[in-house]
Amino acid sequence: MLRRLPFLLVLWMALGLIGCTSGSDNGAPTEENPDTTQTGGDVAFVYAGPAPSTDDVQQFRLALWDNIIDSERCGGCHGVGGTGTPLFARTDDINEAYKAANTVVNLAVPGDSAMVQKLEAGHYCWEGASSACADIISRWIADWASTAEGSTNVVELSAPPLRDPGTSKSFPESSDAFAVTVYPLLTEYCSGCHKPDAANPQAPFFASDDVDAAYFAAQSKINLDTPENSRLVVRLGDEFHNCWSTCRENGDEMLAAINDFAGTIEVSTVDPDYVISKALTLVDGIPASSGGRSEDNLIALYQFKEGEGTVAYDSSGVDTSMNLHLSGDYEWVGGWGVRFVDGKAQALVEDSSKLYRLITATGEYSIEAWVAPNNVTQEGPARIVSYSGGNTSRNFMLGQTLYNYDFHNRTSNTDANGEPALSTPDGDEVLQATLQHVVVTYDSTHGRRMYVNGEFIDVADETEPGSLADWSDTFAFVLGSETSNEHRWQGVVRLVAIYNRAIPEAQIQKNFAANVGERFFLLFSISHVVDIPDTYVVFEVSQFDSYSYLFNKPFLVSLNESASFENLVMQGLRIGMNGKLATAGQAFVNLDASLNSSDMNEEGRIYLSDIGTVLALENGASQDEFYLVFDRLGDQTHVIVEAEPAAPAVVISDEEQPDIGIKTFDEINASMSRMTGVPITNSDVAETFSRIKQQLPTVENLQTFLASQQVAISQLAIEYCNTLLEDEGLRGSYFPAINFSAAPAEAFAPTTVLTQPLIDRMIGSDLDHDPAVAEIQPELDSLITSLSACDGTCDGDRTKTVSKAVCAAVLASATTLLQ
Amino acid sequence: MDIVFKQICHTTLLYTMLLGSAFAAAQTCNDQGVVTNQHRDQAKRIYQRLTGVPPTAGELNEMAAALACNDAGFEENATAIPLDDDNFYNVTLKNFVTPWTNEEQTVFAPLNDYTATVIGMVYNDDDFREVLYGDYIYTAANLTGVPAYSTTDNDHYEALEEQGVSLKDNLVKTPQAYLPENARAGVITSRAAAKAFFIDGTNRAMFRFTLMNHLCRDLEQVKDITRSPDRIRQDVSRSPGGDSRIFLNSCVGCHSGMDPMAQAYAYYEYRYDSETDPDALNGEIEYTPDQVQPKYHINSSNFPYGYVTPDEHWTNYWREGVNKHLGWDASLDGYGVGARSMGMELAHSEVFAECQVEKVFQAVCLREPLNAADQSEISQMLTDFAGVHNYRLKPVFSDAALYCKGE
Repeated sequence: MLRRLPFLLVLWMALGLIGCTSGSDNGAPTEENPDTTQTGGDVAFVYAGPAPSTDDVQQFRLALWDNIIDSERCGGCHGVGGTGTPLFARTDDINEAYKAANTVVNLAVPGDSAMVQKLEAGHYCWEGASSACADIISRWIADWASTAEGSTNVVELSAPPLRDPGTSKSFPESSDAFAVTVYPLLTEYCSGCHKPDAANPQAPFFASDDVDAAYFAAQSKINLDTPENSRLVVRLGDEFHNCWSTCRENGDEMLAAINDFAGTIEVSTVDPDYVISKALTLVDGIPASSGGRSEDNLIALYQFKEGEGTVAYDSSGVDTSMNLHLSGDYEWVGGWGVRFVDGKAQALVEDSSKLYRLITATGEYSIEAWVAPNNVTQEGPARIVSYSGGNTSRNFMLGQTLYNYDFHNRTSNTDANGEPALSTPDGDEVLQATLQHVVVTYDSTHGRRMYVNGEFIDVADETEPGSLADWSDTFAFVLGSETSNEHRWQGVVRLVAIYNRAIPEAQIQKNFAANVGERFFLLFSISHVVDIPDTYVVFEVSQFDSYSYLFNKPFLVSLNESASFENLVMQGLRIGMNGKLATAGQAFVNLDASLNSSDMNEEGRIYLSDIGTVLALENGASQDEFYLVFDRLGDQTHVIVEAEPAAPAVVISDEEQPDIGIKTFDEINASMSRMTGVPITNSDVAETFSRIKQQLPTVENLQTFLASQQVAISQLAIEYCNTLLEDEGLRGSYFPAINFSAAPAEAFAPTTVLTQPLIDRMIGSDLDHDPAVAEIQPELDSLITSLSACDGTCDGDRTKTVSKAVCAAVLASATTLLQ
Repeated sequence: MDIVFKQICHTTLLYTMLLGSAFAAAQTCNDQGVVTNQHRDQAKRIYQRLTGVPPTAGELNEMAAALACNDAGFEENATAIPLDDDNFYNVTLKNFVTPWTNEEQTVFAPLNDYTATVIGMVYNDDDFREVLYGDYIYTAANLTGVPAYSTTDNDHYEALEEQGVSLKDNLVKTPQAYLPENARAGVITSRAAAKAFFIDGTNRAMFRFTLMNHLCRDLEQVKDITRSPDRIRQDVSRSPGGDSRIFLNSCVGCHSGMDPMAQAYAYYEYRYDSETDPDALNGEIEYTPDQVQPKYHINSSNFPYGYVTPDEHWTNYWREGVNKHLGWDASLDGYGVGARSMGMELAHSEVFAECQVEKVFQAVCLREPLNAADQSEISQMLTDFAGVHNYRLKPVFSDAALYCKGE
């Protein structure tokens, strides 16, 4: 229980008045400053009131009360004599404080506690963002609840509001209408901050120079159905955010622009013949159980719930808060997370020293991260999580090299960079460009260990465990980059947690199973169709990433205990959004079930499918309205029939194409064999062919013919002719009128004794598409004459040599190679 | 049934065998026209396009005479001669088929059981649709110096190629006895196809390459994002690099149709020892009845809410949507169990027949069918392939050669 140590032992009270206005830039109402005089200022606080009356009071004290009584936190207003109600931070009587606290906490669902919701609504927060304080308080309440008697994490389903799917508008794919309505105002008045290359860039970048990027960023700030509720309007008109003249007028101007934009978009309506459920938005959902993340020995936690701004808050509740400052090219992603493109999130050195202090004290630690690498090509390693002093020095690092995660840990047995690194095995491609849960742990017994998606990666750490005594407290904790802004990593980080223990495998698997992000149960009422009271088809829904929702594992349930199902037919379930059926992702369209109460599990649920699907986000998580459509549900049927697809067009082209082609390698070989009578299995020929085969043409297209191919063809032709002329039997039958013992002048008298057999076998006659004999003969005669000229010094093989040359000239010519 | 092919030389008899009873009457020419140089040029081109080699003087004369005959349909006699030449099988068909049998699509791969089976089917006039579901491969029987067929190496076929053995004279149809009867699915379950497409990976390669080689469509061309993604396996990330738009606009288009089809291969693996045989030269096809191969469950945490393959049941989601136009056989169910029935689903589609005809056209005419006349010819060839030719491929080569014989 590290987080309570600073308050259990010595509580230092702040001096003077602490500013109590909301530090955020969201324009929340101004509040009274807390009274910081309650416990007497800069002195240690020692509780002297009555002892906790029960174990639960004691747990309340340890988990929550110790952490909030500081005057900088809740003690200033909710302590003894404070103006806040109730006085759950009073320091005179822990039992009374406990009673007061019980009126503002929900131990079953800590996130639903009034304390938490008040903070979320903008109540005083000692951190920079009210959501960060809400998370921290929620965590402390959860700690209290974790041992509270009767506490439970089971989600109680309750009836949602009933309404029919309304008409709705969706953002068009093209940014054209946006570009001429809303965008001009944004670029004129908001580009000082809300563009990526602004001096002090503030996400979302809806004033980006790239209109498509701006359009995408602006969608979550525009409400097409009720433009006056658009954040772009509310921020100006009601929250007085950086108005350019009079806030009310500026808000009206923005509203008019959004009205103009919305006016260009057609309304989608649900086909009245459909068998449909009631409609819901995500905010109508019941928060699903956190699934019980186990965070023992947690010392830093980032959930990236902020969604905007330049700070990601450390919501571990363990002092000192090690908040991360975002810079460079990054963007917040829906469903909690940050995408790094060419940016980083870095903590101050003094804040980062928390890691040094708490980890060197135990000599062990763990890094847990939910990450989605952009690709499997980055290396360096690309820095995902690092506690670093520069490119070559660090205390620890989780990095990426292609398909591998790399784990650097500096000990007495490594260099200053924590090397040699421990990496996932090369061939296993453990790292994938998708959302993954990665945990690396270090302790002096086991050394470094790696877990991906809950599974231990069995790779031996050949570096002996050592001491962490060489760690430096002058390093900075950083995500997505080296502190030097080099070795950038591209991808999405959705959660990072640091522990000062090597967390056990069970805890890792539990946290993997708990998943990441915010999830809701959406209860789609179908009672009006099936005539069974309080009956719902329920999906667990979450925002999967910036662009989609996950609809998971639907089940049928009735909140009415007397309800029963008997052969309730459910077929062809589709999910509708904003008045129309989603185009892609209809994973339940093949559902065909007959449901009975006997199929219920112990929670009263009848599961309809064990798969989930992703559906494209349209107008944003706060605006998209969902409903279900059935082909058949109970007695009602309206089977959706797909329209007949248009017949594909036949492409007709008069483009000229060559009518002839070149023979390919095997064809050339077989042709030469046939023309010469030398079998392709002849060892000399086969050896040559095997050697030059891949140099011969492989496609018939004449336009691909290369000089190197002609060289290979000539080589093969020479080999065939050589074999033919060297084989007495073959040459005798091929050239019966030649006396190869005679000199050329005698042997080739006339030359047709050599040329005619070649022309007959290799070219043919009476063919208009081939050269006429009368054209070939003089060429060959000329060749024979020039090769035969040796001034009476010809050797005995000259006739054979000339024959080979003439043979090869015909055999390797185009007339035998074209087809 | 084992059939040993014997060389048959007589042209008119060949012609009868080649074209079947529809043209059987035209065995002798009753109205012989004058043989011109044009007929001789055409004869030479037909012969070379079909065999890759020039005809002998005698063959050229005989073919030219057939082309000059004025009897209707008699010109098919001209193509019968090259279609009986060893080189049509050993050269043209071998190189026609070889790129289908390996992932690199190289034509330099050695002869193998996939190639030999297609060659045998063409020569034997098998219903070519059986290429994806027939219970047979073609091997050569009892040749001196040729090792016997083995399920663990390719030596048999490499020896046939090396020795220049006449494939048409020696290939024998033999059942795929190395697999249970229900698991035999034409060339899909040949050793060469398994080595190329069942090796490692997820078995989707087998489906993709079958689509490419036998339906002439790569996945991009059959993409349809409106199909249900309910059978897409867990290994497909729904948010690649953290961006689900990629999945919803691209990945889902192929996987929604492919994954429920490739489920037919859930029990197949190409088994080899990666330690001692890294090139997988001595591996063999494996079929595990009622047991899904582990490769179907790899990377399950990429999307744990995805489909978990329980068996080899397949479904054709492309019978609806834009791919309805691929012309699926209405007499089939569109779903089934195992590779054999899935092979039939593919092979009985109109696009399968169209693909075979187009491939032959390109192989013989050395160009794509582009203009109106070409399209009309393709349409006629398609009609004949499915009609009078009874899905025999050899007559399609004949038709293409005659169409592209030149002026």
